Amino acid sequence: MKNRFVWLFVSAWLLLLAGCAGVATRPSIPAAAPATVPHAAQQPGAAVAPAPRSAISGNRAVIALLDRAQTDSEAGQREAAGASLERALRIEPRNPWLWFELAQLRLAQGQYAQAITLARKSNSFSGRQYRVQAENWRVIARARVSQGDAAGADQAFKRATDLEQQAGAEADHDAGFHGQ
Amino acid sequence: MMFSIPLRNKFRFSFNSPGKAVRLIALLLLLGLSGYIYYLDVTIRDAFDGRKFALPARVYSRALEVYPGLKLAREQFLDEFRSLGYHESPQADEAATYKNTLNGVEFTTRDFAFGDGPQPAQHLRVEFADGKVSLLQVRGNPDADLPLLRMEPPLIGGIYPGHNEDRELVRLDQVPKPLIAALIATEDRKFYTHWGIDPRGIARALYKTVTGQRIEGGSTLTQQLVKNFFLTPQRTLTRKANEVLMALLLEMHYSKDEILETYLNEIFLGQDSSRAIHGFGLASYFYFDRPLDRLELQEMATLVGMVKGPTVYDPRKHPELAMKRRNVVLQEMLDQKVITQAQFLAARRKPLGVVLRAPIGTSPYPAFMQFVHHQLELDYREEDLRSEGLRIFTTLDPFVQHQAEQALQSRLSAIEKARRIPANTLEGAVVVSSTQTGEIQAMVGGRDARYAGYNRAIDAQRQIGSLVKPIIYLTALEDPQRYTLITPLDDSPLLWSQPGTPDWKPKNYDRQFHGQVQLRTALANSYNVSTARLGIALGVERILGKLPLYGIERQPPPYASSLLGAFGLSPVEVSQLYQTFADGGFRTPLRAIRTIVTADGKPLQRFPLNVEPVAPPGPVYLLTAALQGVVREGTAQSLVNWLPAEMNVAGKTGTTDDLRDSWFAGYTGDRVAVVWVGRDDSKTTGLTGASGAMTVWGEMMKNIQPEPLQPAMPEDVEMANVDPVSGLRYDEGCKAGISLPFIKGSAPALTSPCPASSGPVAAPRVDAKPDVKSGGKHDTRKKNWFQRLFN
Repeated sequence: MKNRFVWLFVSAWLLLLAGCAGVATRPSIPAAAPATVPHAAQQPGAAVAPAPRSAISGNRAVIALLDRAQTDSEAGQREAAGASLERALRIEPRNPWLWFELAQLRLAQGQYAQAITLARKSNSFSGRQYRVQAENWRVIARARVSQGDAAGADQAFKRATDLEQQAGAEADHDAGFHGQ
Repeated sequence: MMFSIPLRNKFRFSFNSPGKAVRLIALLLLLGLSGYIYYLDVTIRDAFDGRKFALPARVYSRALEVYPGLKLAREQFLDEFRSLGYHESPQADEAATYKNTLNGVEFTTRDFAFGDGPQPAQHLRVEFADGKVSLLQVRGNPDADLPLLRMEPPLIGGIYPGHNEDRELVRLDQVPKPLIAALIATEDRKFYTHWGIDPRGIARALYKTVTGQRIEGGSTLTQQLVKNFFLTPQRTLTRKANEVLMALLLEMHYSKDEILETYLNEIFLGQDSSRAIHGFGLASYFYFDRPLDRLELQEMATLVGMVKGPTVYDPRKHPELAMKRRNVVLQEMLDQKVITQAQFLAARRKPLGVVLRAPIGTSPYPAFMQFVHHQLELDYREEDLRSEGLRIFTTLDPFVQHQAEQALQSRLSAIEKARRIPANTLEGAVVVSSTQTGEIQAMVGGRDARYAGYNRAIDAQRQIGSLVKPIIYLTALEDPQRYTLITPLDDSPLLWSQPGTPDWKPKNYDRQFHGQVQLRTALANSYNVSTARLGIALGVERILGKLPLYGIERQPPPYASSLLGAFGLSPVEVSQLYQTFADGGFRTPLRAIRTIVTADGKPLQRFPLNVEPVAPPGPVYLLTAALQGVVREGTAQSLVNWLPAEMNVAGKTGTTDDLRDSWFAGYTGDRVAVVWVGRDDSKTTGLTGASGAMTVWGEMMKNIQPEPLQPAMPEDVEMANVDPVSGLRYDEGCKAGISLPFIKGSAPALTSPCPASSGPVAAPRVDAKPDVKSGGKHDTRKKNWFQRLFN
């Protein structure tokens, strides 16, 4: 009898842990995403930039706010993460990486239409920065998946792949960019 | 026992003997008195509990974010200190103090609870070089560089309870001990021992009343508090009796500390026009512009002295009386051994030290506050706003606001003087917002920016004239197969008949017709006839139906004349319209509030950035190029007197019939601003958009120092080198051409050989990178304006 209680307790504890872990890793790919979705291996966290911090901004204040957003996001504090990203955006309102971060956050919050719009807005500031464009198209693709637009998602993933290749080819071009 | 007589016995034996009658009357009286006391008890407890928590909402401007590289001059930073109530001090180690150093300032911030958590006070150092922050450090051992500092946000106003009572709540432990000692020494020496009343004081008061002298005094702090709850002018015995009873009741329910704390926050200490100053916390700011815990001894005594009569002892209106009274308080403190002889003598020698002008109470920014209040009313009950102590963090930037107010004031006066217009007849309004986030940074509702009345930025519905034209041109450019920047438009006489309206014959401002003009030229020169024809071709309904898309709810009359802006909008609505053009076709609803936090610091509501795509980026890019043409060579070219051409400002003038309204709406890389100038009675001003509103805009922006406008080129746009007149295409390097943006595939196909005189030059390619800073030094005269524009 007692053993059974212990067992119950342990399993409940494990479930709880699993739940916490789920929050902590912020599933940025919606549960509905089909297994066949390409690039499923690349699942950046909500506020984890897939680019080195130095490529995102040369302003340490912006980096500090990004770090804070990431910490908040990882703690499940997405509202607070959004507030920090907006602070960063006030400092560098035309930095496409920051708009991409916000798009990604909205995606994680399940605000798919906003995520798509913000990714597009990021693209509108991106000039020839193919890497951030690729990331934005990936956000758009995931949001479309969640919206049930499989064909649109496929197209978006394809654009992301193409841009990724272009980014590889022109990596040197972007390395020196600091949005301002 | 007298009280145990059963009720029926009472009636049966009533009036049998005088003793019983007396007993009965006594009982009835007692019952009545009990009921009355119960009524008083409920009343006073309601008042005590209710007042204790009636806290006005506090409204803050943006918090200044300081970081190395920020464009910020020392003087600007000192202004921020002033609006935060910082004071100069030799060490600058106390909260809210600063000192100037050779290259910057050293200072200590205050603790502040932001929506995202508390931020403790810090000892800091900032240095400046070339108008920028060059160093940001935490002072310590050793000093440490800091990437970012968020200052406390300046308080810009409050939303006060019904009687316009304002207060700055203090906890008992925040109140300096000498102040409490002074209060007790002067007003109620037995405060800690009595149970609400002072019988001897009451006896004295009674005696004086009975003997026909005036009714007065004898009040304990508790009684004074009661009196303050029910401020009425009459002094009657009944009131006095009620006061005594309520004081006793208060003491039964609440501790001495609770009563004292409430007293300190409640007591009436002055009047600021319509605003009543309650409590020592606020009075400290009101008279000394400092928090209570930073007052000196004699200043505390001055405040305590005012308790006796805030009007009589008002240190601004009656400084001699206030000084005498202060010294009486100091004397009492000495007598009660609260201070030493030395302290007494030192304090007595000091001047009153009252700040001449009280810090502005209701708000220095009434227009913006009104906008905030309107937004709050959508989500909150009025009584909550006035009593729950909510803290509201807004988007207002005091620096930008100051520049907007200054520019409007100085330009309107200058225009009146130069044009012999009677003084103070022109009015105006300004709205400035951030291009990419839609945050309102400044709002001016009239040339007297402190006047909290008619707010023209929100309430004035004035005809917008040509400001509407970009909607028509954008609609055209969205169809690149038919319209490009160089498509010829017909600017010959037009007569338009529409059933139900008189025939319409639009005219140009110069009373000329211009035949065939390029689309970009028609917009640059604000030609009415060609624009009207273009709008009619696209469809009046279709054009006007786009307004809701841009966030404008108001529906103009469905007539062709609306195409030329014959309908009214407020400056803030126009701002919303231009914000979308400025932000590449993304509409961000203008926001004045960022977050709302409860009195105890919990986030209540956030107003996150929301973006909606309403126009395709390519055509918007073309429109912006055309609006830059307005400033480079069109109706707004005199803007160059204020802002260098390298700013690449995009904008549009608006002038209405008989010169009643003068408008300018424009944007830089980081800001959208709209200015309206006109008369409240809608009479003619003699001003065009360029001679009125645009000069205000230019003056303001010159001082704000905006970022140049360098929009990134969308992927569906390409540059083509074309002949400015014929529109034929040249080779990329041909000097005779101008470089214009086209939606891909819509650039002219017909090519022309480059005229012999102008050989190829280095290709003036557009650099689409958003981080390009205009150098401002290269010789621009050698190139034509459009080459400069896209270079």
